[in-house]
Amino acid sequence: MIYAYAALAIVAAVLIDRFPSPRLRRIVIVALAIPLLLVPLIDPSEATRNLLADASIYVALALGLNIVVGFAGLLDLGYAAFFAIGAYAYGMLASPQFGLHIPFWVILLLAGPLAALFGMILGAPTLRLRGDYLAIVTLGFGEIVPQIFQNLTAYTGGPNGIPGLDVPSFFGKSFGASALPFYYLALALVALAIFIAGNLRASRLGRAWLAIRDDELAAKHAGIDTTRAKLAAFAIGASFSGCAGVLFAAKLGLVSPDLFGFQVSVLIVSMLVLGGMGNLSGVVIGSLVLTMLNSAILPQANMLAATLLHVHVDLSQYHFAIYGVILVAMMLWRPSGLIARRAR
Amino acid sequence: MRIRALFSLSLALLSCGLVACGTSSQSSSSSSPASKTITLGVDLPLSGADSSVGDSTLNGVKLAVEQANKMGLPGGFTIVVNAIDDAVQGVHSPQQGASNMRTFVADPSVLAVIGPYNSNVAQAQIPISNAAPLLQIGPSVVSDGLTIGAAARALRRTNPDTISFFRVCTTDAHQGSAAARFAMKLGWKRAYVVDDNETYGLDLANVFDRDFSKSGGTILGHDHLAKSQQDFSALLTKIAATKPDVIFFGGVTSTGGGLMKQQMARAGLAKVPFLGGDGLPDIATAIGKAADGTYYTLAAPNVEKLASAKTFVKQYTARFHAPVGAYSANAYAATLVAIDAIKRALAANANALPTRASVIAQAAKTNALSTPIGRISFDANGDVKNPVVSLYEIKNGQATFLDQQFF
Amino acid sequence: MHEFGAQLANGLALGAIYALIALGYTMVYGIVELINFAHGDVYTFGSFITLVILTALGITGEAHGVLLVVAVVVALLGSALACGVLAILIERVAYRPLRNAPRLAPLITAIGVSFILENALQLWKGPAPITVPALIPNPRFLGGTFSLAQVSVIVLAVVTMFALQFLVHRTRLGMQMRAVAQDRDAAALVGIDANRTIALTFLIAGALAGIAGMASGVYYQSTWFLNGFGAGLKSFTAAVLGGIGNIAGAMLGGFCIGLLEAFTSATIGGQWANVAVFTVLIAVLVIRPNGLLGTNLPDKL
Repeated sequence: MIYAYAALAIVAAVLIDRFPSPRLRRIVIVALAIPLLLVPLIDPSEATRNLLADASIYVALALGLNIVVGFAGLLDLGYAAFFAIGAYAYGMLASPQFGLHIPFWVILLLAGPLAALFGMILGAPTLRLRGDYLAIVTLGFGEIVPQIFQNLTAYTGGPNGIPGLDVPSFFGKSFGASALPFYYLALALVALAIFIAGNLRASRLGRAWLAIRDDELAAKHAGIDTTRAKLAAFAIGASFSGCAGVLFAAKLGLVSPDLFGFQVSVLIVSMLVLGGMGNLSGVVIGSLVLTMLNSAILPQANMLAATLLHVHVDLSQYHFAIYGVILVAMMLWRPSGLIARRAR
Repeated sequence: MRIRALFSLSLALLSCGLVACGTSSQSSSSSSPASKTITLGVDLPLSGADSSVGDSTLNGVKLAVEQANKMGLPGGFTIVVNAIDDAVQGVHSPQQGASNMRTFVADPSVLAVIGPYNSNVAQAQIPISNAAPLLQIGPSVVSDGLTIGAAARALRRTNPDTISFFRVCTTDAHQGSAAARFAMKLGWKRAYVVDDNETYGLDLANVFDRDFSKSGGTILGHDHLAKSQQDFSALLTKIAATKPDVIFFGGVTSTGGGLMKQQMARAGLAKVPFLGGDGLPDIATAIGKAADGTYYTLAAPNVEKLASAKTFVKQYTARFHAPVGAYSANAYAATLVAIDAIKRALAANANALPTRASVIAQAAKTNALSTPIGRISFDANGDVKNPVVSLYEIKNGQATFLDQQFF
Repeated sequence: MHEFGAQLANGLALGAIYALIALGYTMVYGIVELINFAHGDVYTFGSFITLVILTALGITGEAHGVLLVVAVVVALLGSALACGVLAILIERVAYRPLRNAPRLAPLITAIGVSFILENALQLWKGPAPITVPALIPNPRFLGGTFSLAQVSVIVLAVVTMFALQFLVHRTRLGMQMRAVAQDRDAAALVGIDANRTIALTFLIAGALAGIAGMASGVYYQSTWFLNGFGAGLKSFTAAVLGGIGNIAGAMLGGFCIGLLEAFTSATIGGQWANVAVFTVLIAVLVIRPNGLLGTNLPDKL
């Protein structure tokens, strides 16, 4: 039954833009969306809930990066740095590390502005560079941040990280050991990200971004303050990453520098490229497909190969090759993503 | 209108993807719910760079379970092993480890978990197993903070006074101070300390650093490596200038131990002993003859001297047709502890399925259980009492036993 | 003092390897304005090929006399050739179809190619570091500060740079390259085959990476499938530091980064070496984006 539902939803997703009446479209969408809230209740296994929560965090990350890469056309290869900043903010402020136990919700609210601040500190001097230089600078930044967290042992616990973070609670009720509250919270963050991104795109700022993406010189001549618009994209994108970082840290109960390396940044970029940069529903699909690939399909493929063919292949070691193929193949053959947006 | 549509559309898509995820992962972790089955959860890195050691550790668990099932358990129960990989993209992942532990906790037939292999995975798992609470026994995780002091208390954030995590290996603290004592005993007075700046290596190096100077040795310097460093020339030049009697390395072969030892010859340090912990036993396979002059400690008694170890090696090689891995015996011992606790909990519960809490209580009472790595009892933190650390030297590419120390 | 001299040698030798890689970045960027992300992995491929060649010659440690000369020449030429061919292949398959696409497209493709190469190398030789024969004997010069391997690497890099200068400024191919770099359409009008010129540029850049790979494999007696990621990033930093598109600048930048890394390790500690290098990258791009020797400011858009 679940498979049937999944198949139906995918077909609907592909066809949704071709539906004749907006009303019918909405009905179909709502009908398909309701089970989303119920899924963890239908399938009560903790593994599923955990996977759902992680997947939703990745979707939120991808939607945040989409503002930077997809809307404003700035290739950010160090997006995980802001994720790390959000996570470490929670790690340092809500743990025995310094004896501080600031409530989860306060940090969640503050993490956005904090990450945005770091985004602006990095962006202000570098955003005047051309796109490919920016990619390298952000890559360098993404390499530096976890290493600084790793080296400043006195504050960050060094390579050990900070374990034993506080368990969040909601009106006095603790989240406990279940991933379910985190799932709903991450879902809310995704909804917020979609809402903000959708509104932004239609706004003045959004149009400025698209203009910059398509032709920066022309945008400048048209009177757009390109540096300010780019900085705004950088800051907004970073703030989503920061919030997702808090969620991620609270759920895991641990921060350590190896959780925020280049592989996370690359994973998110691959999600965007797969789904189509700038295309909201595409980004959601792209991130889901890759999460599924990582968490479900590859491990299963390993087991299948071991049991059926009696060969010990280890596909999970070759994730990067898969990302690589995605990046190359999409750019060569489908630069606008799996599900191309209809021209407006 | 457009935005709302997109909004809902995305939600719908999210759901479909997730349902698919959920179902596919569920099928992988299915365990038969037969009432006479007890499940032993195992969490290890079974793919990627650590998989060779992960597989041989898992074999130790399998051997113990097969033997226990053959002997029979009270009440006609059988034990099944549910092993889940904690490596993602070829590297052990705390995130995946936490997810695996949630899976075990949610499965009522799981009464104990063996694993993980890596300390940072354990940091993510202990809060979850402690909250359940569910018995967890680490075969190889040596980081002090998992069981000792305020750090360990923070990990047990739900039930701070319930010790549900035990380990059969010694801690960094014992290994590091044993290494310091060995060094003094061998007449090495001046040491230069290097670590790989990762969880295991840094802790080990810090203990050595502290204990070596406490017992009268001189620490000439303490450096940390960068991630995936290839060029050790600057560091080795700096070390050579201090003329050390010994270089202590905290870390494993693959995080720089191998490359550093290999480059020592060219930096004029060919004759200086290279001392480290249980991250170095595979150094000779990595760099061949260049490994000569490496000394390393193992958190276990000399296997050649224990009768139970000899039997284990014989049984293991007969069953798996492969050499015993670095932690196969530890995993076997950890599994014996778990099975022993389950048996006693069964007996105390009139041979009916015991609660997880009673299994934990029985594990804490483990009393001089005979295993291939010695007799096991636990202290108040969940660490083994009277641990033993042995010292080995690599000569002509072969490890030879030198000495052992009791604590 | 002796230690300072030895650290200087360490830094210069490391810098020479960065410089050789940086030359390839600078050549490619100069002609097609693409950060060839996969360049670092072509360098790793060079060290793998060197290992294959040395193994085929039956060399397991230091070599002497005629065998040493033969081995060095064969390994250098072999890995240069193999890497040149690989670079041409990459250009043909992954970059040429996107020559008129938006700027980000080939950059993303380049990142993708880099990952594919890394995993292919991992598939080939496994995930652990691999031992490469030392090949070069180990006498030391100047009071023991410089080893023969270090001197060889440094000399190799400097000679290669002069050869490249000659090629670009004194030969017909070099003239064509400069013409295509300046204005592809105008170059086509005067009868220069831009595709062929670009392909040859990739061949040369790849060969330089192959030479660097051979040098580093033998000098460090090891290689690893992921080496190219870090080395590539640092070499790109070197190219930017020297002024991208500038051959002497790439060499200067390479030596600077090598010395920076060696002296960071020798003083503050090795764990800060990468941080130091990337901080320099960001600082240079912010303060002096045209680099130390760069003359023409790069187009800011």
